[in-house]
Amino acid sequence: MNKFKTLSLALGSAVILLASSCSKNNDDPTPAESKLTTKTISDLDGASKATVYFSLATGTEVTGADTASATKWDLKFKSTSIFTNGGTSGTGTTQAQVVSSTFEALTTAPTADYKTDATGAPAISGWYTYTAETAPQHAILATPGKIFVIKTADGKYAKVEMISYYKGNPNTTTAAFADLTTRPASRYYTFRYAYQGDGTTSFK
Amino acid sequence: MKNILPLVFVLSTSTAAFAQRDTTRKDSTKQLKEVVVTGTRTAKSLQQVPIPITRITSEEIKNRGLVRLNEVLSEQTGINILDDPHGQGIQIQGFDPAYTLILIDGLPLIGRSTGILELSRITTNNIDRIEIVKGPTSSLYGSEAMAGVVNIITAEPAKGFSGGVAGRYGTNKNADLSLNSSYKTNKFYISGFANRNSSGGYSLQPASGIPTVSPFHGYTLNGKTAYRFDDNTSLKLSVRYYTNDQDSRFSVDNNRFASGKGTEKDFNLAPVLTHRFSKKDVSVLQLYRSVYKTNSDIRYEDNHDIYDQTYFTQTFNRAEIQNDYALQDNLKLTAGVGGQYETVEATRYTKQQSFTSGYGYFQADWIPVKKLDIIAGGRFDVHSVYKSQFSPKLAASYALNDKLTILGSAGKGYKAPDFRQLYLNFTNAEVGYSVFGYEEAQAGIARLQQEGQIETVLIDPSTLKRLNAESSTAFNFGFRYKPVAKLYWTANLFRNNISNLIETAAIALKTNGQSVFSYFNLNKVYTQGLETDVTYQLFKPLQIGGGFQYLEAYDQDVLDQIKAGKVFTKDPETNLTKALKRSDYGGLLGRSKYTYNIRLNYNEEKTGINTSVRAIYRGRYGYKDSDGNGIVNRADEYTNGYMLVNASVSKLFMNNALRLQVTAQNLFNHKDPQVILNLPGRLIYAGVAYNFNKQ
Repeated sequence: MNKFKTLSLALGSAVILLASSCSKNNDDPTPAESKLTTKTISDLDGASKATVYFSLATGTEVTGADTASATKWDLKFKSTSIFTNGGTSGTGTTQAQVVSSTFEALTTAPTADYKTDATGAPAISGWYTYTAETAPQHAILATPGKIFVIKTADGKYAKVEMISYYKGNPNTTTAAFADLTTRPASRYYTFRYAYQGDGTTSFK
Repeated sequence: MKNILPLVFVLSTSTAAFAQRDTTRKDSTKQLKEVVVTGTRTAKSLQQVPIPITRITSEEIKNRGLVRLNEVLSEQTGINILDDPHGQGIQIQGFDPAYTLILIDGLPLIGRSTGILELSRITTNNIDRIEIVKGPTSSLYGSEAMAGVVNIITAEPAKGFSGGVAGRYGTNKNADLSLNSSYKTNKFYISGFANRNSSGGYSLQPASGIPTVSPFHGYTLNGKTAYRFDDNTSLKLSVRYYTNDQDSRFSVDNNRFASGKGTEKDFNLAPVLTHRFSKKDVSVLQLYRSVYKTNSDIRYEDNHDIYDQTYFTQTFNRAEIQNDYALQDNLKLTAGVGGQYETVEATRYTKQQSFTSGYGYFQADWIPVKKLDIIAGGRFDVHSVYKSQFSPKLAASYALNDKLTILGSAGKGYKAPDFRQLYLNFTNAEVGYSVFGYEEAQAGIARLQQEGQIETVLIDPSTLKRLNAESSTAFNFGFRYKPVAKLYWTANLFRNNISNLIETAAIALKTNGQSVFSYFNLNKVYTQGLETDVTYQLFKPLQIGGGFQYLEAYDQDVLDQIKAGKVFTKDPETNLTKALKRSDYGGLLGRSKYTYNIRLNYNEEKTGINTSVRAIYRGRYGYKDSDGNGIVNRADEYTNGYMLVNASVSKLFMNNALRLQVTAQNLFNHKDPQVILNLPGRLIYAGVAYNFNKQ
């Protein structure tokens, strides 16, 4: 009787172990294949200059002659507007669209419906809410669930979530933020993004 | 106006020499004999009527030291006064103010600003009682009676000469003064009433120099006369006139100020002919005309250029005949037909617009067995602009014993598209967006296209669906319990399914980047909850009471979107997006889940001293959307719950003819200057009233 018990226990745990290790193997893509980089950029300074250029591939600000390049920058921030390198905004062929999702839940980039910047119709819009007279008054607050999907000039995909328009990514529900005299400076962009360097639409 | 006031006063003072008599009725707990008329448009005992109804007597109102309708309704169980820049309206069963019909002697008041009828327009000094029906009553009253009906029933004069004067004065220079006098014989009566209500206004941000509520002064004049030709025929005429002037001042931009005067006028005329064909058969012919006007002229203070100049004129005309016929002792039939003609002319409308409508209604009140009362009825409305509406209703009450009655009802309610939703033709000069009513959309878009102002048409206006009335299906179920003479307990469960709510949506994009909006039947919402109220005579002079409401009010489309994972919020600490859970959704704006009140009344007949204390709690409610998802969900999107304590002490003198009173509203000075603009803080009033009657 005891033998049977031990045997069945052993068999049972062996099956479970096997099953769980199998599923682990199936779920995890081998790290060597994915070229996904996830980054959070804090306080990209758009206050000290009219426009600030950014490269998703390098994760850094782009300045000087490179801002005329078709491929060396992807996003351009100007006050509350965000432009992509293409169409009326740049010499490249970058395209974008805004998807309703959480950052985490968007695991694959859409394959169609990308737009190029045009006059009065940028590919990225509707990312913020202006509060006008509602407290906190006259604030630019990033709208939840607006994830930009970027198709860069060299055919790479990235997803971007705007986090804050204010220096230090402040809590916008506090009295200090509501008070215009103590509110942190604006045009400091904080955002997170995931950049897929392997050319696939996967964000895993 | 200036000529009439002294006249009335002379009439009052010259008759003041007559002997005095108590005209305030004695305290009573005769609920069984109390009669209400609003629920069925026939006189019916309060205990028996099968729908939720509240009756507030003039005596209760006077004991509490209240003089305007908003003050009275704000203390009632299941009613919230909403704070809105367009006025103080009421929320019943979670509905916005636009969905409650306000009547004076059974006739509708007109003049709503974005759906809200300002309740402080109505004085309660000349009334007998207020009846509040909850749940849809469109089966009798048609449009607007979706959440319920508030009916103000004016006082009938006592026999002989009567007269009175009442005044209340206090904080913020708030003053209310009333005069009334009447003469009544067996066949004839005439009565006159005049009221002046004024305020110095107040500011919740005194440093700004800008008033939150600007100073105003208004007058109400009300005359009634009736003549009984014989036992079967009588004629009654009532006239009401209201006017209010308000001086406003506000800051525009760059330290500029604008100021000016706004005037509001309201006139009602209602002749009523009643004829009794037999004991079983009574007909009432009623004519009604109402005119509502506003005018405002606001100018820049520095150069006197016009900042905003607007006018609004609405008229309402109705002829109606109702017949009550008792087919058998236990079966009463009521039927009526009517026709209405309405017009509106305003700054924001292209031209004068008019509506013609007709309706017929029917009701059977059947008592098949002694304890059971069944009421079935319906109303059919035909209209020149929107689709015809049929509003049926079925209600029943059953007396389990002489202490406990249960009641239930199911019915449909509707609210017609208003003039604004049909005819608005408005372009915001500062921002540049345009709004067109349904009837104006096609012409408006065509005009803007010709002017080259349209970038893209999103919805071809010729394909717009005809705007339909908003409608609801509602269920109410409850009881009235009176186990002993001292205790009265009521409860009601309610559910309202509302569809076709009219909302604005963009139909075109303009070249200036702004949108053109029009109106659509879009949303589905529901409200449900429980209301209960209890009154108990603890010992002879002391009565205690309390009321409670639990309310849920949700947008069905938002619930569906949450379920599909399509609604998001930002975590306030990290500002990162997360999906919203069902439990995070706070429902419609301005709805408190919990409200309650506690009441104490100490009435010593011997000394004539009455003390009344009421505590009214309103739980937290959503008042804004700050995370940009369009709904209430985050803690910072709610107000704090708050309690207001109102109290009044009065003493009667001279055989009850004279009453002196001190009243406090918001005794503990609760204020929320950023969010709640209709709470000026503590208000203290002194009041005096004198009445006489000479047979």
